[in-house]
Amino acid sequence: MFLQTLVTGLSIGGIYALMAVGYSLVFSILNFSNFAHGTIIMLGAYIGYFIISSFNLSFPLSLIGAVLGAALLALLNVELAYSPLINRRSPSLYLMITAMGVSIFLENMVYVTLGSHFYAFPEIFKQSNLKFFGSDISPLDLSALVFSLVSIYALHLFLIKTKLGTAIRAASYDMTTASLNGVNMTRLIGIVFLLAGAFGGLAGVFLGIKYMVYPTMGWITNKAYIAAVIGGLGSLPGAVIGGLILGLLETFVSVYISSTIRDVFSFSMVIIFLVILPAGLMGRHLEEKV
Amino acid sequence: MPLLELKNVTKTFGGIVAVKDVSYYIKQDEIIGLIGPNGAGKTTIFNLITGVYKATEGNITFQDRDITDANPVSIVKNGIARTFQNIRLFNKLSVIENIRTVLYREADYNLGNALIRSSKVTRIEKKLYDKSLEYLEVVGLIDYINNRADSLPYGLQRKLEIARALALDPKLLLLDEPAAGMNPDECIDLVELIMKIKRTYNLTIMLIEHHMDVVMELCPRIVVINFGQVLMEGSKLDVQNDPRVLRAYLGEEYANA
Amino acid sequence: MDYIYGVMAVICIEIVATVGLSVFTGFTGLFSLGHAAFMAIGAYTSAILTYFYHVPFVLALLLGMVMAGLVSLILGFPTLRAKLRGDYFAIATLGFGEAVRVILENLSITQGARGLPGIKHFTTLPVAFIFAVLVVWLTKNFIWSKFGRNAIAVREDSVAAEMAGIDLFKVRMLSLVYSAMCGGLAGGLFAHYLNFIQPVMFTSILSTQLTSAVVAGGMGSITGPVLAIALFIAVPEVLRVANMWRLVAYGLILVLIMVFRPSGIMGYHELSFEWISKIFKKNTRNKAGGKGI
Repeated sequence: MFLQTLVTGLSIGGIYALMAVGYSLVFSILNFSNFAHGTIIMLGAYIGYFIISSFNLSFPLSLIGAVLGAALLALLNVELAYSPLINRRSPSLYLMITAMGVSIFLENMVYVTLGSHFYAFPEIFKQSNLKFFGSDISPLDLSALVFSLVSIYALHLFLIKTKLGTAIRAASYDMTTASLNGVNMTRLIGIVFLLAGAFGGLAGVFLGIKYMVYPTMGWITNKAYIAAVIGGLGSLPGAVIGGLILGLLETFVSVYISSTIRDVFSFSMVIIFLVILPAGLMGRHLEEKV
Repeated sequence: MPLLELKNVTKTFGGIVAVKDVSYYIKQDEIIGLIGPNGAGKTTIFNLITGVYKATEGNITFQDRDITDANPVSIVKNGIARTFQNIRLFNKLSVIENIRTVLYREADYNLGNALIRSSKVTRIEKKLYDKSLEYLEVVGLIDYINNRADSLPYGLQRKLEIARALALDPKLLLLDEPAAGMNPDECIDLVELIMKIKRTYNLTIMLIEHHMDVVMELCPRIVVINFGQVLMEGSKLDVQNDPRVLRAYLGEEYANA
Repeated sequence: MDYIYGVMAVICIEIVATVGLSVFTGFTGLFSLGHAAFMAIGAYTSAILTYFYHVPFVLALLLGMVMAGLVSLILGFPTLRAKLRGDYFAIATLGFGEAVRVILENLSITQGARGLPGIKHFTTLPVAFIFAVLVVWLTKNFIWSKFGRNAIAVREDSVAAEMAGIDLFKVRMLSLVYSAMCGGLAGGLFAHYLNFIQPVMFTSILSTQLTSAVVAGGMGSITGPVLAIALFIAVPEVLRVANMWRLVAYGLILVLIMVFRPSGIMGYHELSFEWISKIFKKNTRNKAGGKGI
């Protein structure tokens, strides 16, 4: 029972981490909370679902389609809705309100056009559970966890090893200096959103397999935001650790205490963290410049 | 007895030392200049004095009271006011409201009065309006009282900031680069204004400034900051003739030439 | 006729909540995604009082406001004390809104998710109208007093405000409690208008509507949000569109406003005859840089 809860918690945490990475990437460079990221994840899940069910294509193709589709949507999102504000150097509160607007708009567009049906992915992972030290472990949980960690590690390598990755890291420290050093900020922001969207697509597919696909599934992504806050907004390792911690805590709370209070618990967590440790576990502490 | 004294004040930001072991003082009625190259830590010192940052080590005393860990609001109440390097006004408020907002600490009407806008409220509001006019008169903004603060030209915004600081009725006024972006004529104008407010309000003034003529005009005593430390402290003549100061400003090769 | 009457009553009720929120979001500059929770608290408190305990309507409304105000203290004390960044605070209010709804769904006195039917119909159009006018008037006075001016100063530049001796925590807290109490009042009016309440009526959708109205109307205006919420309710009713299309429109409006006119319909102005005539005359003074508040 304990081991099973542990693996379930870790796999949920892995998905949270996948989602939180997108938040953190955008936050690290633009310093605002992109609340529209959850909607991109939801759209990624829809794309993945329709590829696999309507076109009868294989799971890897559906995953690739979701990743590409979500990345493009994220790029569209920044170009149409955020760019004018970024260019005007609007306060981050305005960007956040815009992001809320985008999220409300897209989510309800899906509602109006596709309805509120719950779509279930066809069976991809074997239902039969693996026996492991006498506990039942679902292959889905295990592969979600492995996939999350591998892809986030790949992102980590990209940020460290490549020139583009270095430019992104430089910009996350200081956008003005980076742009003075000849980094094309508009292009860089576009790339960051492409990356965030790609991870959103990945997360969306796994989320869809686990919880089904429906318009308000983006709501779950608020958890990813919480994970990012716990880990420290803007920090990649923070997103991973925050995701895993939140996934574990939530699963244990719902198994051992009660599933009704699970969400109340998560949101209280975020308030506690914000009040006591606003930079999260791994974030940089920013004192306001005067 | 100094009015304000910094003793061995150090401030680090996550391992980076911004201000290191700084000690200096300012006496009642004095006007001193804080000079040094960009990024030397001068504004950080202002932020430490006004409680925006907390010192990592050392202590700051004002009128014999330790204010090292005091919060900004209580420091203002104790009598320290400041202006900012990058002007910080209440942009969407009118010029006069910028001043009246500061004077509201004297408004002794309560929330109930405010909600029904009793005659007490209108009376106090009027009184503070008139008082705000006095401050605007002093800095020469009387013709702009109904303009929005962010619509003023740069130089006038600086003056409005000074008026707002004056309205706090300070004993010590910290001016952070008041002449930044001003032409020589405006600088002369500013020097006169600073002299005038010092006399009128009995102020002690600490001034960060890069315009050397402004500093030399106003400040008999100067503290030079470099790399977060006090490089030297002395009369303006001392400072002018000290090779270390020249080196700090112009770099090694110039000083040796 | 009954239909128009109903729409107008709802508009008046929502004006109460929106104007309250404008103090918090528009004038103090803090963004909330959970103010529907205060409406829920006001609605349930007053409805339980009139329904189970036969407390007089106005007293029940008042107690609903007080309850919403008290709960806002619980939210505000830790979050505002810690001077959270705008977006951190927003996520905290989102969590708060959800928490309140979950609690209402699980309490026995609220009869859980099934809701509370049979509440007496006290909120007629004249009653709602009187309260709307009263709240607009009180809010105008509030904004034009030291309390409101301090709030604007905090919104404009919190560091400068602090250096001007303004206690950020007190100012933000007062705005939060004020907006929460207005929300509580609106909730109480709402319960006694519909005669039936359910936790699901007070989701983040309602919070979104309120916040959208404030942003669209103008963050720094009272009449702007009033106009906006009236349009938000009336236009879909006239066009008879489905509820979901409304939300599509709210989302789009938020984005368009932020992209093209971040100061909202009214900007920092108030709707008045003087202002309207000024628009038509194209006053030259506006070209010189605009008049402050």
